[in-house]
Amino acid sequence: MNNSLISIKNLVKYFPIKKGVFRSTVGWIKAVDKISFDIYNGETLGLVGESGCGKSTTALTILRLEEPTSGEIFFQGENISSINKKQMRKYRKDLQIIFQDPYSSLDPRMKIKNIIAEGLAAHNLLDSRTRVQKVGELLERVGIPPDYMDRFPHEFSGGQRQRIGIARALALNPKMIICDEAVSALDVSIRSQIINLFKELQSEFNLTYLFIAHDLSVIKYISDRVAVMYLGKIVEIAPKDIFFKNTLHPYAIALVSAVPVPNPDFKRKRILLPGDVPSPANPPKGCRFHPRCQKVMEICSQVEPELKKLDKDHYVSCHLY
Amino acid sequence: MENKNRDKVLEVKNLKTYFFTEDGIVKAVDGVDFEVYQGETLGLVGESGCGKSVTAFSILKLLDYPGKTVEGQILFKEDDLLKKSEEQMRKIRGKEIAMIFQEPMTSLNPVFTIGFQIAESLKVHYKMSNLEARKKVIELLEKVGIPIPEQRVDEYPHQLSGGMRQRAMIAMALACDPVLLIADEPTTSLDVTIQAQILELMKTLLKQFNSSLIMITHDLGVIAEIADRIAVMYAGKIVEYTDTRSIFFSPLHPYTFGLLTSIPRLDMEMEKLESIPGVVPDPLHFPEGCKFHPRCGFATERCRKEEPSLLEIENGHIVRCWQVDRVREEAKKIAFTRRLAVVE
Repeated sequence: MNNSLISIKNLVKYFPIKKGVFRSTVGWIKAVDKISFDIYNGETLGLVGESGCGKSTTALTILRLEEPTSGEIFFQGENISSINKKQMRKYRKDLQIIFQDPYSSLDPRMKIKNIIAEGLAAHNLLDSRTRVQKVGELLERVGIPPDYMDRFPHEFSGGQRQRIGIARALALNPKMIICDEAVSALDVSIRSQIINLFKELQSEFNLTYLFIAHDLSVIKYISDRVAVMYLGKIVEIAPKDIFFKNTLHPYAIALVSAVPVPNPDFKRKRILLPGDVPSPANPPKGCRFHPRCQKVMEICSQVEPELKKLDKDHYVSCHLY
Repeated sequence: MENKNRDKVLEVKNLKTYFFTEDGIVKAVDGVDFEVYQGETLGLVGESGCGKSVTAFSILKLLDYPGKTVEGQILFKEDDLLKKSEEQMRKIRGKEIAMIFQEPMTSLNPVFTIGFQIAESLKVHYKMSNLEARKKVIELLEKVGIPIPEQRVDEYPHQLSGGMRQRAMIAMALACDPVLLIADEPTTSLDVTIQAQILELMKTLLKQFNSSLIMITHDLGVIAEIADRIAVMYAGKIVEYTDTRSIFFSPLHPYTFGLLTSIPRLDMEMEKLESIPGVVPDPLHFPEGCKFHPRCGFATERCRKEEPSLLEIENGHIVRCWQVDRVREEAKKIAFTRRLAVVE
């Protein structure tokens, strides 16, 4: 049943640090450093982590919007990590993305009709009249009156723009949508509307989501499985229920304990991490979390832990286990 | 309530702050009343555009054209701040009332060291010498948990991480032992683990300094942790105002109730997320009657026509709604305490 739609093997993405007149490379930002995971057909994989941990880079690299430094990406069993742009085109229909900021991700000079139909036009699907009809259907589905299709993005509120972004992503009947912090910029009352819309669309169109967020409460609500990233590495990945009942990695535990809970009677032991996240240009040796970890052992500063399978589908990268 | 015996630090009465724009008058804050007692934390909660930040700026009289406070009283130690001159206000800002802003990067000056910026208020208000001020700054930096303060004092904002910058902002706000602190979304731009550090720090320091705090945020999780009492704002008005536990466990306003059922949360299993339909109304064209009625599931004919006033429904529980009894029944049905997981 758990067949993978996307399978990532040892994915690496380094960005060069350039300095001086000749822009010579003096170092590398190790944004994503050898990560492997699968996204199963029809599931929502929640990818969580703090700023700079590499979650957005992971998303962009899967879509080949950033070229991977090394590693392999399989989509439905096909290796799409090294095929050329032309060959990639046919996969673009199936892989869509929704960005965080609905203000900067819609072209202000295009009517939303054209924004949504752009993918259809680029792939030469449908004639122009049926395209307009399709745009109307899509708008209706995401909760925007179809007769607004001749308006421009600035005429819409943040929540509505996010709906337009969703309609655009849906236009090509994708198999997977990557939601990169797609609800983070929205107000509470609007956010739940959009989260619910995501859920409805998933069952209606049999979508697979890679849902990237920094907010664990949202991740808990929407995901089937949860993956936690820290400094370019995946430190824990597990089905949601198992993850929240039995969090294992010390960083993941601290992350869960740091989430503010809207309940004044909720008592728990909060683990306060000392210091800040180190720079991905110069990550600590051994386990990248060891300088901030409460359970640090000698081995942690020497040997980098592998992502180990502990239980059915529960993977942790920590020397404690 | 026990507050009755405590000293009022601040009392805001019928505050109205309008923006006179080309398109018309935006009533950003439209008749807000609340008080802050000695040593307590009052949370101002609401979504973007509800007027919570404008309320804070009005208290410190930091509003620029086209914003103007047109009516009301802001009694600080029984003195009306609105009647004070700019010069008198300058003696209060930073010394008696200090503010912590959301974006530490944009609210710190990039061309001065953090030591210089923190020392500024000490030199202005207490006429300290450079040396004295520096000593005090290092002490403050240590209090807010900045490592190696002797070195950090000479660094520029860009050399500090986001969390450290927010700590420096807090040190700056606390420099002159203010009676009242106003924090406008102080942790919103920070990562969760850093946010946890800053919240813990703020709680500790508030106790230590015995200061009062007005905490402005949209995050109900943050507010549950830090506030003693909460005022929920919607469209420029307070819609519910009471102690923190009542807000979370027995909300009486449909908006508060709606917010609580529409947030995903870690402390309970949720089958379905409710949501509040529609969007926040355009401040230039507020609906008639209750401003929340177009989005309210409890709305009746009366709500559409007549704006409810803020009434004390139960002891110390103040609500602006005609349908309080029905909301109460509904809130009881969805017991917010169900499956209260206690993590040790």
